[in-house]
Amino acid sequence: MTTTPSRSTAPAPRGSGVHPAARPVVAPRRPSQAAVVRALSRHAVLICVLAVVLYPLLWMVGASFRPGNEAFGTLGLWPDNFTLDNYRDGWSYGSLNFSRYFVNSLVISALAIVGNVVSCALAAYAFARLDFPFRRVLFALVLATLLLPYQVTIVPQYVLFNQLAWINTILPLTVPKFLATDAFFVFLMVQFIRTLPRELDEAARLDGCGHLGIFLRIVVPLSLPAIGTTAMFTFIRTWDDFLGPLLYLNNPDRWTVTLGLNGFLDATGTSAFGPLFAMATLAIAPIVGFFLVSQKLLIEGVATSGLK
Amino acid sequence: MSSSTTTSRTTSLRTTSGRRRTRAGIVAGATALVLLTAGCSGGTRVGGDAPEAASGDDAGLGDVTGEIRLAYWGSGSRVDLTNGVSDLFVAENEGVSVTPEFTDFAAYFQRLNVQASSGGMACITQLQGRQLNDYAGQGLLLDLQPLVDSGAIDVSGIPEDVLDTGRGTDGALYEIPYGAAYDAIMVNTTLAEEAGVGSPADGWTWQEFFDYARAAQGSLPEGVSGVNLLGGHPNTFIEWLRGRGQEVFEGTEAAFSADDVVEYWSIWEGLRGDGVTISAPDRAAEAAQVEQSWIAQGRVMSDNKPGNQIGQAQGAIEGAQPGQELTTVQLPRGEDGSSSTVLFTSGWSIPRSCDNVPTAAAYIDFWINDPEANALFASNNGAVTNTEMLQAQLDDESLDPATRQTLELYQEIVEDEPPTVLYPAGYQANFETAFQRAYEDVALNGADPQATAESFVENLDAALASA
Repeated sequence: MTTTPSRSTAPAPRGSGVHPAARPVVAPRRPSQAAVVRALSRHAVLICVLAVVLYPLLWMVGASFRPGNEAFGTLGLWPDNFTLDNYRDGWSYGSLNFSRYFVNSLVISALAIVGNVVSCALAAYAFARLDFPFRRVLFALVLATLLLPYQVTIVPQYVLFNQLAWINTILPLTVPKFLATDAFFVFLMVQFIRTLPRELDEAARLDGCGHLGIFLRIVVPLSLPAIGTTAMFTFIRTWDDFLGPLLYLNNPDRWTVTLGLNGFLDATGTSAFGPLFAMATLAIAPIVGFFLVSQKLLIEGVATSGLK
Repeated sequence: MSSSTTTSRTTSLRTTSGRRRTRAGIVAGATALVLLTAGCSGGTRVGGDAPEAASGDDAGLGDVTGEIRLAYWGSGSRVDLTNGVSDLFVAENEGVSVTPEFTDFAAYFQRLNVQASSGGMACITQLQGRQLNDYAGQGLLLDLQPLVDSGAIDVSGIPEDVLDTGRGTDGALYEIPYGAAYDAIMVNTTLAEEAGVGSPADGWTWQEFFDYARAAQGSLPEGVSGVNLLGGHPNTFIEWLRGRGQEVFEGTEAAFSADDVVEYWSIWEGLRGDGVTISAPDRAAEAAQVEQSWIAQGRVMSDNKPGNQIGQAQGAIEGAQPGQELTTVQLPRGEDGSSSTVLFTSGWSIPRSCDNVPTAAAYIDFWINDPEANALFASNNGAVTNTEMLQAQLDDESLDPATRQTLELYQEIVEDEPPTVLYPAGYQANFETAFQRAYEDVALNGADPQATAESFVENLDAALASA
């Protein structure tokens, strides 16, 4: 541990700051045949693994274009009797109404993202940069909540929200996000902010910035990868959440997409698998889209915050 | 990346950082411990004493008014039908509104458990005999007998044997059963004809059932087995016991012995060894949904399935094996001809925390006895238990064939005075998967049946005693 501010410069791009003698220098030359074969076989293996991983997903997409009672007959991906009926029927199947569920899910996810990003970033800034009594104890407390499985707190939470008469509203699913309750994201951002050079804060302070100024002008712009990661994970978690909406959103008008998908299933009655697969395919589309857009941020965020 | 191992500079500047860190560590550990113990300590049970309206001569009678919650499992058409029944009820009772809460069977119980532990159960809550005592045993449900005695709920149309499936282990009536499901042997008649064994004989015994599958095996197409592997199927075991006149549970204890389990398993191991059943790995890989089950995919000629799944199974097999037909026949009987069929009823319960018992009672009474409501719901969740309504549905010529088949079989079963099984609290959690796992241990891993059966019974008794 050193007191010299050795990290006063921004982290250098990978590899550029390494002493040349630190690793063997390979003379640039044409890749040998063996290397090509190795690369090819490595790719072949990776593609095989990818196919195995993606197969169930592709099967589901394929099944969504098959007539309902043929869904389980085949392991093949391509439908023999191509039909769009599942999409037409599924969108408003019986009492189900997916226009509404998608809107509900989007509203809840958007609020959760805003809540988590704002509150976790503020909390993280405080833990990483401010000096206040019991800071370390409080941080330990926040981290300790990571040890609590979600299931343990379900009943107390339900009692609390029930007392507040918040059942059948989206409040139990969104308000806690504005209170920095997701310890994981607080931790992620604290780790990230700690890597930012303090000299920038000090320079900003000399220029007349208060904490809010430093936070908004220095920390937030530099923490974009971590903020993106937080937004991404929050979106995936909230969009996929089933138990939360199941407990708190009893009124079918307030259902989310996951509850709607569950509405196709019934162990004691008739399940509608064709429409289920069609709507499930639509339900993963936003996640895939969100991931594609933000994957650069996501990977950067994970890599630079030292979390693997 | 390089900085992840370096702690924050603020602390590294302190000379006392080591001590502080130790202290913080202790505090964190203690906090975690407190949080964990708080989380794991005993359950919180909310719910007051029985409301006044639920006892005495006028139990459950009073103003039928206000909002009431109705919780049930189901999807698709059942939701529309239930909403239809509620609309009829509301039309007859001005000033009442019914708020439905519905979800799939498995998710239903996830939510119900949380609601039950915080006093938030819906006033009209759907339950099944198999889980009834998990809730009744915790004192969460109202004894409905006083409501029946006062006339608030008329159960005279429900046969006594069927009504008994709604009782707790203490004999109190906690559920008014409205729909009865039962297991039946589902047979692929197309395959059976091809194999030259024809349809099963009326009133067959368990031995005849096993012989039936064995006789067909040689002539079935490649990859098709005579019967599914049911050695680990809890229902079949219970029904086989009942066919022999044996009780399954006595209070909170298993009434069968490890030897019974071994005998049952040896039958299936014999069939499996002779190639009459599908393989153990295939059985383990079978999907839970009926549409994906081996019988609905044409992989087995016969299986033990809930009788009301014939419609879905037939629909699925038309997609998987066009032209094949399925039917259901009564479960095999004991050697003395006594019925093995155990009824699984779904019914309505009222939680003790309900603040509007008269309206809940009126709704249940309406549900069971109103001809229009029953004609609309049309046995969507098991055969209707009210005999008058059952006859009315059978007389309706527009009834679809699958439902007709379900109802006719049910009518036969009820005439037989089917045996009742009272499932103790903790049955679902400690019997069903454990029995299946124990048999898989024998069939897949070659475990010793005697030792496995003994430890299964021992664990079951211990678990039921503490449930």
